[in-house]
Amino acid sequence: MASIEVNTPRQSRGLPTVRQIVESAFPIIVIYVVMATIYSVVQPSALSLYSIESLFNNSLPLMLAAAGATFVILQGGFDLSVAGIISLANVVVAVAPVEGPLGAVANLAMVIAIGLLVGAVNGYVVAYLRIQAIAATLATMIICKGVALLILGAPGGYVSDFMAYELTASIFGAVPIAVVIAVAVMVFWSVFRTTNSGRSLLAVGQDENAAALSGIDVARTRFASFLWAGAFYGAAGYMLAAQTATGNPNGGDPFLLLTFAAVALGGTAFGGGRGGVTASLFGAATLMLMQKVLFAVGVSSFYTGVIQGAIMILAVLFSAFVQAVTSRRNSL
Amino acid sequence: MRARVLQANALSKRYGATVALSDVSLTITQGEVHAILGENGAGKSTLVKILSGVVRANSGGMSLAGEPYNPHSISKARAQGVATAFQELSLIPNLTVGENLLLPNASARTFWPESKSSILRRAAEVLREWQITDIAPDAIVEDLSLAERQRIEITRALSHASRLLILDEPTAALPDPGWLFQQIRRLTARGVAVMYISHRLGEVREICERATVLRNGKTIDTVDLSGVDDDGIFAMMVGRSPESAFAEPVVARPDADIIVDVRNLNVGKVRSLDLSLKAGEIVGLAALEGQGQQDLFRALGGAVKPSDGKIMVGGQAAALGSPRRALRAGSGIAFVPEERKTEGIFVNLTAASNIALPKIGRASHAGIVYAGLEKKVSAEAASKVALSPRYLGFNVGSLSGGNQQKVLLARALITGAKCLVLFDPARGVDVGTKQSIYAMMRDYVAGGRTILFYSSELSELVHLSSRCLVMYGGRIVADVPRAELTEERLLAAAHGHSQEMKVAV
Repeated sequence: MASIEVNTPRQSRGLPTVRQIVESAFPIIVIYVVMATIYSVVQPSALSLYSIESLFNNSLPLMLAAAGATFVILQGGFDLSVAGIISLANVVVAVAPVEGPLGAVANLAMVIAIGLLVGAVNGYVVAYLRIQAIAATLATMIICKGVALLILGAPGGYVSDFMAYELTASIFGAVPIAVVIAVAVMVFWSVFRTTNSGRSLLAVGQDENAAALSGIDVARTRFASFLWAGAFYGAAGYMLAAQTATGNPNGGDPFLLLTFAAVALGGTAFGGGRGGVTASLFGAATLMLMQKVLFAVGVSSFYTGVIQGAIMILAVLFSAFVQAVTSRRNSL
Repeated sequence: MRARVLQANALSKRYGATVALSDVSLTITQGEVHAILGENGAGKSTLVKILSGVVRANSGGMSLAGEPYNPHSISKARAQGVATAFQELSLIPNLTVGENLLLPNASARTFWPESKSSILRRAAEVLREWQITDIAPDAIVEDLSLAERQRIEITRALSHASRLLILDEPTAALPDPGWLFQQIRRLTARGVAVMYISHRLGEVREICERATVLRNGKTIDTVDLSGVDDDGIFAMMVGRSPESAFAEPVVARPDADIIVDVRNLNVGKVRSLDLSLKAGEIVGLAALEGQGQQDLFRALGGAVKPSDGKIMVGGQAAALGSPRRALRAGSGIAFVPEERKTEGIFVNLTAASNIALPKIGRASHAGIVYAGLEKKVSAEAASKVALSPRYLGFNVGSLSGGNQQKVLLARALITGAKCLVLFDPARGVDVGTKQSIYAMMRDYVAGGRTILFYSSELSELVHLSSRCLVMYGGRIVADVPRAELTEERLLAAAHGHSQEMKVAV
């Protein structure tokens, strides 16, 4: 019984509790490592730098999109504009390529500005005008896709050589740049979550009412989450362009559902308040790795979707089970 | 004459058609503990929300320490020295105690977030200052008991209140107000004013000097508590002199029909329990927390399926297991659960729709439900629980707690059930609503029907029951007849002492 403890102060525990571990990115990291091990066993050539590079280059756009979506989902929201922003960013980079490293930076600035702009519209409409997030972001997704088609009517365009070759290569011939970017996002998140903005994000997702009564500006927190999301979607579209070396006005479409699948697989709750960006990055990487593993063990690609869906359900069931077990323990 | 801290003039607040507050004025002076008294729905919560910056008044003005005061957010109110401990506890469950205490700016630094240990150190400082020694700053809030959470909520408000502290039902979950009163006295010694809202008159008299009474959103009077007795206060709260809260108890005729007969029931914590309810009696049930009373009530109401045993209603075996079946079984059992917000009510429907729900067939032509008919169907039931007809058109979510409870009871009545099963029907409602509920219960059994009710207030059981059952460890351990009903007797039995044992102890 918990009431026995009433008079003894709980001591600082140096080690994380089981619940803290299970709610962190730890389970999905374990799944990822297990799957990577399986992959390297059934497909020894997977360990060559070339295939590691291509695996991460393939995964990075989805990882960035999932990272962005996590900001919105953590505060209890929903954002469909991901597909639109990725398409738009991809097309813009392909029709206005700027050569050289500084050119790549200029292109990145463009797509992030686009992401922030669309995110600001989403955030304003959802947080301040209080329009339902699904309706509002569905509208911005359709608008972005429309604009992408206006800019580039059919797949084509050119991506600058620096983006297409250098950004998809490796540093010192050993570490893929995609990995560096992913690690940078993880470091960013681990700092961000301890800022006041990070705490506010989780608090609003946990209990909007309590957050407001605690003095947190709920509308501003929501607004900011859409800005972060937009910026990450823009970056995802940018890396998609780098990886495909071309522009595709429908390039963002496959990302719509996979992004949510990756976030769910990472263990972030769709109700908000629990989860994190690191978990979503691994969720996305796991989804992409799974396709490779299934292909390597000879499963027909027709089954890929079925198996991905089944694994997602298992992941969601697992986190629901953990929730139920830990909350039951608390109520006793 | 002490300096004025807060002066409110003619505050008014409307929510759509509902007038929550009209023309409320009050003055709170330095170092004073000022009580706000009133029934549920009198406007206390609205007043708290306006003062703490959650909502803004439609008209009227406030001044704080001589300066105009018109906060439009919690943080603005805090910046001016007004902090509130909310009744509905505003802590974030999966953050630590320390982070919660320091929200919204847990990290005090701008460019790089403050380390967790440094945050916890500052939080430990706050806990120490307000004499909380048994809660660690790094404990996760969702692991704390309700009483511990309430103390953290209060501590956070204490640490921000440099001019005015607002406490909204601060002792609702505190077993012992000693700690709180000590902190209040330390705070008032520094000249901070305290606004204290509570239903518990005893506490109010202990800690407060003056009280402002609200009724129907208006200020009735501000009185010196030493100069007025409880009856006088009740009279101001309800607007009439209180008839004795409990009228003559009802007792069933010995030859009355048995309406509900329970044999060998096993469900949840309930162990082979027998029970019979006769026409014309109000049967009370006393028990400590968690003795199986929830399971028993939910089984009778059909919310859970018993694992074993028989429930006969009006002479037929009832195959319960869903509330719909419970209502259909013979003459029917209607159940009013304890958690009205989560189990009972549709907050986005009108009061009339909520009441008429079980009888949707009667309020419809050709399958279409008409609002007008709904009102007509629900009006009769509403009058039985003294729910003012003007509330029928409002969304239930906008009604006060007491009126929500009346809506639930009216809905139970409209089913035409022969037996009502009420779980703590008068918990957390005000004096006036309690009286209406008691009157409705008596009226109901007078028509040859029966009631089983659980209450956490012993005095309610003693005064209202025709006889009172006591549950302990999943069994009924005593059936106390009217003549022997005393609070001591119930308390002893509820602790598992039989009468013989009680003598020994």
